[in-house]
Amino acid sequence: MPDLPDTPTTSSRRARRARALALLLALAAGAIAAGCGGGGGSTGAGGGGAKADTLVIANAVNVDTLDPAANSVNESIWMTQNIYERLLQPNANGTDVVPQLAKSWDISDDGLTYTFHLGDHKFSDGTPVTAEDVRYSIERSIHYEGGWGFLLEAVKSVEAPDPKTVVITLSRPHAPLLADLAMYAYAVVPEKLLKAQGAKTFFQKPIGSGEWALTQWNKGSDLTFKVNPYWSGEKPNFSTLKIMIVPNDNSRVLLLQNKNADIIENPPGNLINELSANPDLQTYLFPSTRVDFIQLDQHFPPFKDPKVREALNYAIDRNAIVKLAYSGHATVGSSFMPYKMQYWNDSLKPYPYDPDKAKELLSQSSYPNGFKTFLIEVANDVAGNATAVVIKSDLAKIGIDVDIRTYELLTAYDKEDGGNSQMGQRYWTNDIIDPDEVTTFGVDPQGGANAFSSYWGDPTATKLVHQARGELDTTKRQQMYEQIQQIVYDQSPYLILDYSPYRYAAGKWVHGFHATPLGNYNLSLETLTVDQH
Amino acid sequence: MTGRFGFLGRRVLQLIPVVVGITILVFFLLHLVPGDPARQILGQHYTPKAAAEIHHKLGLDQPLWTQYRIFMDRLVHGELGDSVYYNQSAGSLIAERLPATLLLIAYAGVLAALVSIPMGIIAALRRGGIFDQATRIGTLITFAMPPFWFGIILILFFALKLQLFPVSGYGHGFSDHLWHLFLPALTIALAFSTILTRTLRASMLSTMRMDFVDTARIKGISRTTVLMRHVVRNAIVSIVVVFGINLAFLVGSTVIVESVFSIPGLGQLLVAAVESRDYPVVQGTTLVLAFFVVLVNLLTDVVHAALDPRVSYE
Repeated sequence: MPDLPDTPTTSSRRARRARALALLLALAAGAIAAGCGGGGGSTGAGGGGAKADTLVIANAVNVDTLDPAANSVNESIWMTQNIYERLLQPNANGTDVVPQLAKSWDISDDGLTYTFHLGDHKFSDGTPVTAEDVRYSIERSIHYEGGWGFLLEAVKSVEAPDPKTVVITLSRPHAPLLADLAMYAYAVVPEKLLKAQGAKTFFQKPIGSGEWALTQWNKGSDLTFKVNPYWSGEKPNFSTLKIMIVPNDNSRVLLLQNKNADIIENPPGNLINELSANPDLQTYLFPSTRVDFIQLDQHFPPFKDPKVREALNYAIDRNAIVKLAYSGHATVGSSFMPYKMQYWNDSLKPYPYDPDKAKELLSQSSYPNGFKTFLIEVANDVAGNATAVVIKSDLAKIGIDVDIRTYELLTAYDKEDGGNSQMGQRYWTNDIIDPDEVTTFGVDPQGGANAFSSYWGDPTATKLVHQARGELDTTKRQQMYEQIQQIVYDQSPYLILDYSPYRYAAGKWVHGFHATPLGNYNLSLETLTVDQH
Repeated sequence: MTGRFGFLGRRVLQLIPVVVGITILVFFLLHLVPGDPARQILGQHYTPKAAAEIHHKLGLDQPLWTQYRIFMDRLVHGELGDSVYYNQSAGSLIAERLPATLLLIAYAGVLAALVSIPMGIIAALRRGGIFDQATRIGTLITFAMPPFWFGIILILFFALKLQLFPVSGYGHGFSDHLWHLFLPALTIALAFSTILTRTLRASMLSTMRMDFVDTARIKGISRTTVLMRHVVRNAIVSIVVVFGINLAFLVGSTVIVESVFSIPGLGQLLVAAVESRDYPVVQGTTLVLAFFVVLVNLLTDVVHAALDPRVSYE
């Protein structure tokens, strides 16, 4: 017998004691921990009164750097736009630029000299923003390795003749200049402080002249901002902005439901309807510049045949993709340029779903009996995976056998580029409001990205991209970009699928939150209000 | 005493080839995986020209062996190189993230011990009883549940329904950390305590069968004294060994649990670094974690030897 011999008189008492001790031990840790945490409770604002003083936003992606010249991740870009100002900024709809540091500007008749007149702005440490700071910041970003200098190749010089004037001279007319300067990479940093501290130290707790001053940055966890005491614009309705980094989708939703966050980024698409139905919550779908498309690598012979590409366009049921991948919360795509952005061609209509026409077109091509191909998708991209399933099923109906190959993100991109791909899931988002960027990457074979890795090129379209860049007459530019979009629409070097929005969810206690099509929301923070909750 | 120091010295020396082996494995395995950090940096603006500039800047255009030599050279000088993705050194990134992970592991370890030691002992003492059956079924269930799912269930109940603990995050200050880390630590601890409880229960049962236990009782020593001095002391040795060996399990769990609970620890850093092919950070993090596991294994041996006089230092 394994049990110990027991003395009958004391056994029950001992057993009780042992049980109580075990229970106590098990509960002790939880009780102590719960007691300890008394002070660290709500991240939202509490107490009485009508308005809360803190806004908490939970983002899905970590902030990697607060150096505007090095930025490429959206969630980091949106932070730098809170901290710094640029000469100009895009308006709330992303359709034009409006003043920021520059209160006005003059353009010479030949379009080669831009003179910017600065307003009175101060960095959050109280020092004034000077033209010298602007000159230094722009030149720093132009020369930053792996940065955004390629946008400003037409810039010959940046000068600061006096503390309130910046003069930019171009070597050739460059129509997108104002849009380029409104880009986050050309944010203005204090030259003297940055040089004194060195970039590595400075960007750990940077100083800018934007609405919000960074007070705490716990890497990988959260960032806290207070209103810049020297902010020249209207004071926001709350004094503290907290950004939490919560990569797990479910955890973000739970944070909102628990009122520990006021706004969450990117709630899962399949939960949008459920969240909207919650009486305490609201969901936002803001128009974005995102264009979802399928790359067709022309190194794969069938995709060189225009009839095949046209057939593919009619074979795909875009409405089914929008329904399945985005629960209906996206717009069916037509032009390769972002939806309703500058010079968008609204005369183009999405290719209708017409499998019979697709079959007929395929029968006229060099591959009348179809062919086998593969489609690269990114693992864990729920919307992308749903899209791939629709495409496979649709193309099977016209005799094209699609093998879906799933790779982790960077591996997928590696496989899609380099000219050994066939079909690949891709998307584009604008960084500037001007279409020069998307046409350079998507149309110009010399633009560096091989026309979205399709290795397609059309001499007329390419010529128009170059001409439009130097054309200062907006009406003529409109015509040129509409013509480029028409050519891409007709030749279909890639299959435009849909325009998907930015998704946010918030408590009903938040009023006036808005993200621009470029994704930044710093403008709405100026007027947003948070009720007590 | 010299035996003890000699033992320690030999074990520390043995660490060197293990750590070097780990560096080789991590370095070359990582470079075998397709994917390019330049792609992460450039995003959709990836062009072969811009990528080549970044490769040159990061030294990725050098032969692999040269890159390894540079990495080892830096390592010997106590440097891990600069992160490709974050704008700072890999060493400082790891130093920032290490405390959260260590605290989480220690917290989970303590909770696991608090849960499993009493449970294992009582289950063994009341073998076949209701408590024993419940413990065996309970440990089976918690062991079968994946941590990411179990974590969410804990959040739903303790954070959302009872509002006792926060949904996620790490907090500020030690007591706040303890409060924030309770649910994540519990998630790991419950899975871990399964192994500990079952080991302790089995070990207690086999010890109680030993002749010396009967002898002690016949000599008139009280039941409690026999239990504490003879049975538990003997049985607990097995727990220490299991605890040490399974530390790798704890480290592995933190990777998932940190993601579910948004804890800025090494696990989350490692996942992000692997995804963005941030070579210096992956290498550094893996090295630190591997070193940690090896070190704990060493400590386990030392503690084992200290607890059990039958284990020699040879």
